Amino acid sequence: MGQNETVPSLLLIEDDDAIRTALELSLTRQGHRVATAASGEDGLKLLREQRPDLIVLDVMLPGIDGFEVCRRIRRTDQLPIILLTARNDDIDVVVGLESGADDYVVKPVQGRVLDARIRAVLRRGERESSDSASFGSLVIDRSAMTVTKNGEDLQLTPTELRLLLELSRRPGQALSRQQLLRLVWEHDYLGDSRLVDACVQRLRAKVEDVPSSPTLIRTVRGVGYRLDPPQ
Amino acid sequence: MTQKQQDSRERREREEHREHHDGARGWSAARGGVWSRLRFTSLRLRLVVVFGLVALTAAVSASGIAYWLNREAVLTRAQDAVLGDFEQEMQNRAGALPERPTQEELQYTADQMANSSQRFSVLLIAEDPQGRTVYGGSGGLSGFSLQDVPVSLREAVNERQKITSTNKYAYHLYWQRIVDGDTPYLVAGTRTIGGGPTGYLLKSLEPEAKDLNSLAWSLGIATGLALIGSALLAQALATTVLKPVQRLGTAARRLGEGKLDTRLQVSGTDELADLSRTFNKAAEALEKRVADMAARDEASRRFVADMSHELRTPLTAITAVTEVLEEELEFEGGGIDPMIEPAVRLVVSETRRLNDLVENLMEVTRFDAGTARLVLDDVDIADQITACIDARAWLDAVELDAERGIHARIDPRRLDVILANLIGNALKHGGSPVRVSVREENAAEDVHGSGSDRAGGAGAVTDDAAGGGTEPGTGAEDGGGGTVIIEVRDQGPGIPEDVLPHVFDRFYKASASRPRSEGSGLGLSIALENAHAHGGEITAANVPGGGAVFTLRLPRDVSALTEEDAEGDARERGGRPRRENAGGDAR
Repeated sequence: MGQNETVPSLLLIEDDDAIRTALELSLTRQGHRVATAASGEDGLKLLREQRPDLIVLDVMLPGIDGFEVCRRIRRTDQLPIILLTARNDDIDVVVGLESGADDYVVKPVQGRVLDARIRAVLRRGERESSDSASFGSLVIDRSAMTVTKNGEDLQLTPTELRLLLELSRRPGQALSRQQLLRLVWEHDYLGDSRLVDACVQRLRAKVEDVPSSPTLIRTVRGVGYRLDPPQ
Repeated sequence: MTQKQQDSRERREREEHREHHDGARGWSAARGGVWSRLRFTSLRLRLVVVFGLVALTAAVSASGIAYWLNREAVLTRAQDAVLGDFEQEMQNRAGALPERPTQEELQYTADQMANSSQRFSVLLIAEDPQGRTVYGGSGGLSGFSLQDVPVSLREAVNERQKITSTNKYAYHLYWQRIVDGDTPYLVAGTRTIGGGPTGYLLKSLEPEAKDLNSLAWSLGIATGLALIGSALLAQALATTVLKPVQRLGTAARRLGEGKLDTRLQVSGTDELADLSRTFNKAAEALEKRVADMAARDEASRRFVADMSHELRTPLTAITAVTEVLEEELEFEGGGIDPMIEPAVRLVVSETRRLNDLVENLMEVTRFDAGTARLVLDDVDIADQITACIDARAWLDAVELDAERGIHARIDPRRLDVILANLIGNALKHGGSPVRVSVREENAAEDVHGSGSDRAGGAGAVTDDAAGGGTEPGTGAEDGGGGTVIIEVRDQGPGIPEDVLPHVFDRFYKASASRPRSEGSGLGLSIALENAHAHGGEITAANVPGGGAVFTLRLPRDVSALTEEDAEGDARERGGRPRRENAGGDAR
């Protein structure tokens, strides 16, 4: 990912013909290359063949549902996923975020909003010219956009990576969820703080020695999160 | 009167009202408790009294009759024996005296008569040969004398009666019972037929009286025992009656509290069992009815939910395409035919309206279904309001009177919905400028208002207990107690009095002739539901100077409200490891 000089390619997995067609039309007009699939199985097959930069995934799919598709992708792949959920019922959103989605939009979605989210997610993978930082056994190479723990490469999604970068840029300083939403997700305001929480949990699962008692990414009660340099 | 004074006065009134209300409720509850206990004891008391009265009447009349009959029997027997003896002695001894006996003769006879088996005193009166009245009494002069004989008896004895076929004798034996001191006596007297002394007898009835006394005592004791027995019986009966009544009362109360599955155990065939059966039937019918109504309600809600859900799918497609059309419109010199441009504009704007309506419908059905949940975050209220106004390009039309630094732990999205609806409504009906002011109230008392019953007891807020529990609370969470009050005031004509109670009703339109508004008719209702979800409240009022004011009160920390939700959530989803990692952040 991150080949921004070319037009980003998207994979849209949506079972409803009308929505698929309309979104394809809208996204194409926004300047994306869009491949579409009508079911999760087809989507997974297309994913292997085409290697898109991002997936827009409907939750309610016949056969294997969006959450399951999301989980299967995450097993092998860290490419960004935006969920398209028909309800913003909390269970849906939380399950979606747990299964590894980077962001979500609620139907009926405006093409412009979806486009903005897509661009924000894609920007997270962009390289920045910067140094590297190490926190104990964790080494963040900002120029190579890689994170290693005990010398081993960690597989982070662009969102997780961006979250870790934003936190590591201000070690010891607490960042509120709304701040993180602006910095990482580029939500203007009113972001869903559960996005941050879900992403922090996934990140902890990867970078912490014991994810249930984090020593690196700490929760600051009533504020948000903070990256602590090891003592 | 300034706005502030007005407010504080209103608040005071509200508080007073609440206090008064609580006080009244407390008083009536206490009174109810005492009253019911009194009533119960009074039923018990009534039973005891009635039983006692019945027992008393029965015992007293039975003992009375028994005593009376016994007394008569005892006395008559004793008396008949004495009188028989006396008569015999009078005939045998006094009749043997000469017509005019001497004092000595009389005295001697009297002594002899008195020595008979019955041991009575005798007084004989006759005229001696000299014509003087002589007395002969047993026991000497100090004993029985004529003074002891009642005058009426003397007269009766001395009365000479006509001799008829039914009355063979001129003189009869008369007797009377007298009481001298405490001792009952039998006094009797008669004249010897055919001349001779008049004889009187005095017999003490003390032994008989003693017998009767002891009889009376035992009857009295029996009556007392009967009374005690009846009281105990009444108690037992009262208990057997009152227990079921109490059970019935408890069951009725439970039923009233909404536990519609309350049933009574029916035992026996008496009226109370009948009543229990009736209660059970009534409860069953009620439960069924409520279930039916709930099912119907549920069905209609599901219909609305399903319908709005179904509307979503085509709307999503239409919305996406409409934007394409919109861009065409905005594109200068675009390819849209000027003839059909109004049509395209209409489609675009109405699609947006339809979108909003469906969005609001979904929101309403979520509240109705109880699936609306709070996603809490710590926010600066002033920042939130600014962002809300800014996002909708209302900065010029809204005057904000709020200082930064008022933090609250609330759901920012829902606060935005509330603010957008209140401010949007004020702009639409009142016109600009709309004044939005924020202040806080650090009341120590429970300010959760209607939310307190939803929270079901504020448990300890275990926010981040697992995740970041090791860290000290560095965050400046000054939430804790207290209320944030946001007022949205417009400059319009205010709300008509008859509309005021309905402003939060769904689809309520002030008048049928009012032009179609841009709103969905759900905005204020949704704002109110969102406030309720926070345990807050919105009130609408008119300001004396003109214009309407909507007051939103939100508790500063509603974490306690979501505790239950979070727990329910955890159960629902089987407690994934995520929760351990997350430590329940924000949820």
